[in-house]
Amino acid sequence: MSTSQQEPGADSAQHLAAQPASPHSDFVAALIWIGFGIAVAIGSWRMDRLENQDVNPYTVPGLLPGLLGIALIFFGLLLLLRAWRQGALDASTPRATPMSAAERRRLLIVLGLCLTFGIGLVGHGLPFWLAAALFVSTTISILQYPQRRADHQVARGIATAIAIGLGAGLAITLVFQEFFLVRLP
Amino acid sequence: MLQGLELLGQAYLSFLNPLSLAYGLGGALLGIIVGCMPGLSATLCIALLTTLTIKLPANDAILILICSYVGTLYGGSRSAILLNIPGTAANAASCADGYALALRGEAGRAIGIATSGAFCGTLFGVLCLAAFTPTLAEVALSFGAFEFFWLALFGVTMSGSLVGNDPLKGWLMGALGLFVAQIGQEGLYAHDRFTFGLHELSGGIALIPALVGAFGFAEVLTTLADPVERKLVELRDSILPRFREVAQYWRTVLRSGAIGVLTGLLPGVGEDSGAWMSYAAAKATSKERHLFGKGSIDGLMAAETGDMSSIPGHIIPALALGIPGSAPSAVLLAAMILHGIQPGPMLMIEHPQFVYHVVAMTTLATICILIFGLFLVRPLLYVLRIKRNVLMPIIFLLATVGAFATQSRLFDVYSMLAIGVGAFFLRRKGYPMAPFVLGLVLGSLLDKSLRRGLVLSDGSVVPFFTRPICMVLATVTIFTMLLYVPVFNRAVKHGTGALVGSLRSLVGRRG
Repeated sequence: MSTSQQEPGADSAQHLAAQPASPHSDFVAALIWIGFGIAVAIGSWRMDRLENQDVNPYTVPGLLPGLLGIALIFFGLLLLLRAWRQGALDASTPRATPMSAAERRRLLIVLGLCLTFGIGLVGHGLPFWLAAALFVSTTISILQYPQRRADHQVARGIATAIAIGLGAGLAITLVFQEFFLVRLP
Repeated sequence: MLQGLELLGQAYLSFLNPLSLAYGLGGALLGIIVGCMPGLSATLCIALLTTLTIKLPANDAILILICSYVGTLYGGSRSAILLNIPGTAANAASCADGYALALRGEAGRAIGIATSGAFCGTLFGVLCLAAFTPTLAEVALSFGAFEFFWLALFGVTMSGSLVGNDPLKGWLMGALGLFVAQIGQEGLYAHDRFTFGLHELSGGIALIPALVGAFGFAEVLTTLADPVERKLVELRDSILPRFREVAQYWRTVLRSGAIGVLTGLLPGVGEDSGAWMSYAAAKATSKERHLFGKGSIDGLMAAETGDMSSIPGHIIPALALGIPGSAPSAVLLAAMILHGIQPGPMLMIEHPQFVYHVVAMTTLATICILIFGLFLVRPLLYVLRIKRNVLMPIIFLLATVGAFATQSRLFDVYSMLAIGVGAFFLRRKGYPMAPFVLGLVLGSLLDKSLRRGLVLSDGSVVPFFTRPICMVLATVTIFTMLLYVPVFNRAVKHGTGALVGSLRSLVGRRG
């Protein structure tokens, strides 16, 4: 029996996501929130008030966005104040643990592959099943490469990835397009 | 009353046909499979199935979605027990005791308890759904723009306060969601807001692509960036549901069922709150509280009953008020609108039979999870063995299809990608996604209610605070936010401590 010893409630999603943000990163984020809030408030203030259509002044389109901009500035200021009181500007305050090199490399690879598929491959003439097969096969092959290389099974790994990619592409096309009549990109 | 029972009977009869049963079983099975896989949420499952079932008749599509909703939350307990990773956030409370039981070689028993708790909890919630939805909808008929303004704000504030560990970040996300909902043509004069001349933005940011991005693509990035594979505890003992233990812990089942439904009624709070609050209540009253976190049956039963009973609880405000109780019920609400059914106070007038259909669908979902809990536990465990490197690229494919399918626009795929990348980095910094989703859903209602209210009151904000329901909602909303202010929080704690102390001394003197 194999077990993994983890904290109860540890979640794969939260493993990376739930790392407590440091006061320093909260401070930077607060500045971004305040800047965003100011931009929203200015955008709302400058928005057309439709006076030429003689609309009721209490129903101008920028009313709620403007209030939301003010709310963003207010909450941003609270975050800034909290981070400052927690020592965001103090050099001795520990910074957030940076992503490990392995995590960063995997993230960049996955991000690159997903964006290439979503922006470059889909909806530009290539049949969906083929684009899907290309994406899935490439992603699996690249992500499993270190393990496959250690096991001396690179060729087998690529063949399996191609089979899974083709299977996934064809199955999704069949189920969505033919069975449930949903249009695919 | 009699008319309600007649409609309920007709609703049950309408689902007693092979096709509906097949849809129900299929939806629940898919839900359980998705729930088993750590990281894949009920929100993502329902969002993807919404696009898959878009061409089906409304009742069949909603049946599949409700069955998958119930199935996902039930399936999430498997990975909580066997991997110590909650399949969905709602199953986190089951991890401590479920995994401890599994380590003791009682994984089957833990799954059996989870099945019986889930069955009883959902059934309890269904009874409340049938009893309270028509009543709440009737009350909601008297709501006007002022009340809906506060309801929307209350939902986003509560969601920000209770989801995640940092209310301030929750409120920031809620405000961001409300702002994103303002992008595109506004509802009163069709004026473009924040579109920057892009005609694709005139229609606004669609909910399904946003949800698929926030819960699907962000999860793909999170999971695949993590190089560690988790290992599974083996299952050796019997997995049959333990209804004898339900009888033994009937107080826990009833208490957790009630807590689950009540937390479900609060807009935007999420199923995990139902589970955690039930767990805390069970721990406070249990005779075996020393076992909590070390394999307590009471604790596991409370967590599973609480999270499952909150599902019908979340559907009640979604149907009666048009305000979802959680992120998955927000997608359910969007799916109903896509199928031409507008939830809200007018639902009982326009589609009175639909509420009873939802009751029948949720009952069918409950029966489906019991069937799969009895017969398909071991085969479904193979799902947990699928490598993330294989699964996640396929999930991303489905996310792309899901984002595209509702309106057949490539722009929605780009929205999904942008929101997914943003959500990934925000989650890493501790920003919860549920308040963002609630803001996105309720933004339009908040905007229209505020402006209509101001027209009705001729610019005065007084009615927003003086109408009875507004007064209650405004007080709770403002009080919740003020609790974040340390001075106010200390004063409240001091006040409640003094009150509890004087009550105790009063009871002690009488005793």
